[in-house]
Amino acid sequence: MQYQNIFTTVQAVGPVHHGIELGHGNSPRTGEPLIQYWLGRIGNAQLGPIYLGGLGIASIMCFVIAFVTIGMNMLASVNWDPIQFVRQLFWLALEPPAPGYGLSLPPMNQGGWWLFTGFFLTASLFLWWARMYRRARELGLGTHIPWAFAAAIWLYLVLGLFRPILMGSWGEAVPFGIFPHLDWTAAFSLRYGNLFYNPFHALSIAFLYGATLLFAMHGATILAVGRYGGEREIEQIIDRGTASERAALFWRWTMGFNATMESIHRWAWWFAVLCPLVGGIGILLTGTVVDNWYLWAVKHGVAPPYPTVFPEVIDPATLTGAKP
Amino acid sequence: MKISNLLLPAFLGALFLLTGCERPPTDTVQHGFRGTGMVQVYNPRLLAIKTEENEVPASLPAVPTDGPKAGQVYKNVKVLGNLSVNEFTRLMLSMTTWVAPNEGCAYCHNLANLAEDTKYTKVVARRMIEMTRHINADWKTHVAETGVTCYTCHRGNPVPNYVWFKEPEQDKGADFIGDRAGQNLAATSVGLSSLPSDPFTPFLLGELDIRVNGSTALPSGNRHSIKQAEWTYGLMTHMSSSLGVNCTYCHNTQSFSSWKGSPPQRATAWHGIRMARDLNTAYLEPLAPVFPQHRLGELGDAAKANCATCHQGAYKPLNGQSMLKDHPQLAGPGVQTQVASANKK
Amino acid sequence: MAMLSFEKKYRVRGGTLVGGDLFDFWVGPFFVGFFGVTTIFFSFLGTALILWGASQGPTWNVWQISIAPPDLSYGLRMAPLLEGGLWQLITVCALGAFVSWMMREIEICRKLGMGYHVPFAFGVAIFAYFTLVVIRPVLLGAWGHGFPYGIFSHLDWVSNVGYQYLHFHYNPAHMIAVSFFFATVFALSLHGGLVLSATNPPAGEVVKTPEHEDTFFRDSIGYSIGTLGIHRLGLFLALAAVLFSALCIVISGPFWTRGWPEWWGWWLNMPIWK
Repeated sequence: MQYQNIFTTVQAVGPVHHGIELGHGNSPRTGEPLIQYWLGRIGNAQLGPIYLGGLGIASIMCFVIAFVTIGMNMLASVNWDPIQFVRQLFWLALEPPAPGYGLSLPPMNQGGWWLFTGFFLTASLFLWWARMYRRARELGLGTHIPWAFAAAIWLYLVLGLFRPILMGSWGEAVPFGIFPHLDWTAAFSLRYGNLFYNPFHALSIAFLYGATLLFAMHGATILAVGRYGGEREIEQIIDRGTASERAALFWRWTMGFNATMESIHRWAWWFAVLCPLVGGIGILLTGTVVDNWYLWAVKHGVAPPYPTVFPEVIDPATLTGAKP
Repeated sequence: MKISNLLLPAFLGALFLLTGCERPPTDTVQHGFRGTGMVQVYNPRLLAIKTEENEVPASLPAVPTDGPKAGQVYKNVKVLGNLSVNEFTRLMLSMTTWVAPNEGCAYCHNLANLAEDTKYTKVVARRMIEMTRHINADWKTHVAETGVTCYTCHRGNPVPNYVWFKEPEQDKGADFIGDRAGQNLAATSVGLSSLPSDPFTPFLLGELDIRVNGSTALPSGNRHSIKQAEWTYGLMTHMSSSLGVNCTYCHNTQSFSSWKGSPPQRATAWHGIRMARDLNTAYLEPLAPVFPQHRLGELGDAAKANCATCHQGAYKPLNGQSMLKDHPQLAGPGVQTQVASANKK
Repeated sequence: MAMLSFEKKYRVRGGTLVGGDLFDFWVGPFFVGFFGVTTIFFSFLGTALILWGASQGPTWNVWQISIAPPDLSYGLRMAPLLEGGLWQLITVCALGAFVSWMMREIEICRKLGMGYHVPFAFGVAIFAYFTLVVIRPVLLGAWGHGFPYGIFSHLDWVSNVGYQYLHFHYNPAHMIAVSFFFATVFALSLHGGLVLSATNPPAGEVVKTPEHEDTFFRDSIGYSIGTLGIHRLGLFLALAAVLFSALCIVISGPFWTRGWPEWWGWWLNMPIWK
């Protein structure tokens, strides 16, 4: 059978690359790079070096504080039993304050730890964002990645900060826990009248599936023209070669239009970024501007009716004086 | 190559998942308009076990209703005085089979003096008879003409297999850390989810709001929280598992709160919740002083009823078979002591 | 003629699987091929059936139009047209059109001397659709288990099927699939961003090299998968998301009838900690 360009069969091993020279104001890099054969079957075989600067170290420290706080709360909630901790790990959580506390600072054990964790996790994210920005600038690159990261941070802040503030209650925020955050997701949709009818939710999903579709398309296309050096995208962008030409023509002949080697990455960036961006808008509007998305959809004439199958059921709570 | 790249992990993943699963074929029952996805899904092998568990014991042969009344012949008959002696004895024998088959009459009675109330079980049983009659006469909105007998809950056990107690304070490692807020443990009461594990105290003993949705598209004063929705979700999960049905049995999840398009079972369930509240507040909780320590919960409360107590995994208790027609003595009269009013949500 | 500046030299004969030279031509920018003809046939027929179905329904509101599958009582038989038969015909047309599209992509790959990765990936997506409307309904014994063809009605189906299992988020295959979806979006934002950042540097800077790309990721997270690797990774993440999605729905019903949280009982009840 022909080679399909999935796993690299012959790995060329040269001297390791210590990274593009950085200007002054940067720390030296950490770690002697090493070659990992199995990584090399899929992508680059080189691991490291890593850049550990002030921003990165501060970010990691804040993250560790948040992570350990969550872990300690989970462990305490099973009475410090390490076996139950492992057994029930997916069920355990650090809960936000109860709704009754509003936006005030609750006792540590009634949501205070959640606020503490949220603060350090947010700090960690902002510091990491700054790290991404700084690394890009130091290498003379554009800042497209940090701005994509900003879209994800937008969604995170909507969920944990902006919306709870607008709703007047930290209790609206998401718990830290595997299954519990899924319970929150389901309860959110239950409380606000079925999130499928939130148009921003629908758009966000369209971008989620669209991004998946795009990466399948783009990944497959580049692999399919690997024999012409298609993965050398920068080179192909500034000096179009037969790889880009065939890739473009494949899509033009298939669906009537095509991207270029550069513009496909713009499609990719926008689809990926619009998913959390639009999703965050949808979350922010829920409860603040719209209380019941199904009823909103009915109001705007988009909710489908179904033929009556059951005999009419009257809400028993509306029957006054009915014998219970 | 792409095939082996993906198929192997996917196949292994599938195998791994399936070891914890059930096997086909499974049965499905449509319960709404076609294509809505309102369908009940059953495993025939599990259903066969449930059918066996829900067999109704044979009734004792009918006895004449004429003759002297139990209240005239026996002492200390407070509830069943109007029954003939034959009916009375038959009911006592039936109750023994339903509640204490291994323990016999001595479970409730002092055999040297059957009229005595020295054993707590006799006091409890008397109240239970009143409760059974109350259910059958005053809660037809839930039990219709099928009704209940002692067997519906007890199934041959002195204490029914499915009862609940109030949840004690969380056994915390320390006071400054690790509060679970009543949830976030794997709890069988809510089907092994991490939802709040005691939805019974607020909703089947108390009368806290189960409904959390607003009735208008735009905000108009509905201040229920996401947290409250989780508590309702926990109660609903219990209801589903107790009846062996899924959410679409009562709801079109297009809009949980809409009554238009809801199956009729939803109204029956609404009454069931009110009935549970009534029984727990008027009959079961007040029995706490009567029970000995080992029959009480950690907080000293009596055993209470939830949906599982009667339904025990079946859509109707005993799969809808009525024992009441053979035991009309338990059909009434009613005692209008229900606490909940029709307007409470 | 709608041809790109470099296109003419690529428009050669050959590569077809069926029909030889008969359909080996272009209409505007579109390549036709035998499978282009079958695609048009199935698409037109399917669309016409949908439109006719809408005309027999209560509305022309595009958000509310819905073509529903048959009642479960029809089992795996053909149902009357207006009682779900239309849905069945449209499904056949859909599968015909999708497979035709995939075969046409294969012919285009052959003509351009490309690997078959794109039609293969599309085949995985078709497989997911096939799982939803054929495999799972067959396992459950009725075509009525397919999803309705309507913008919001298909979402109501998703909601109700999810709640058949009380809390679908606990489905382990669903959890894995969702993770792969989010990982795909994440990786796409990184890849798109990285290439654009190298080719669109700040004003005054020159276009950068793959070494800059690698250095950015090695500096940030200690590893850079590289220009070829990221495309393998992206394709893998996307296809894994789709495959685990198909898996998560095919096990719901045929291989599990209770609430999904209850499935986790095997873990909680393992002898080592019971």
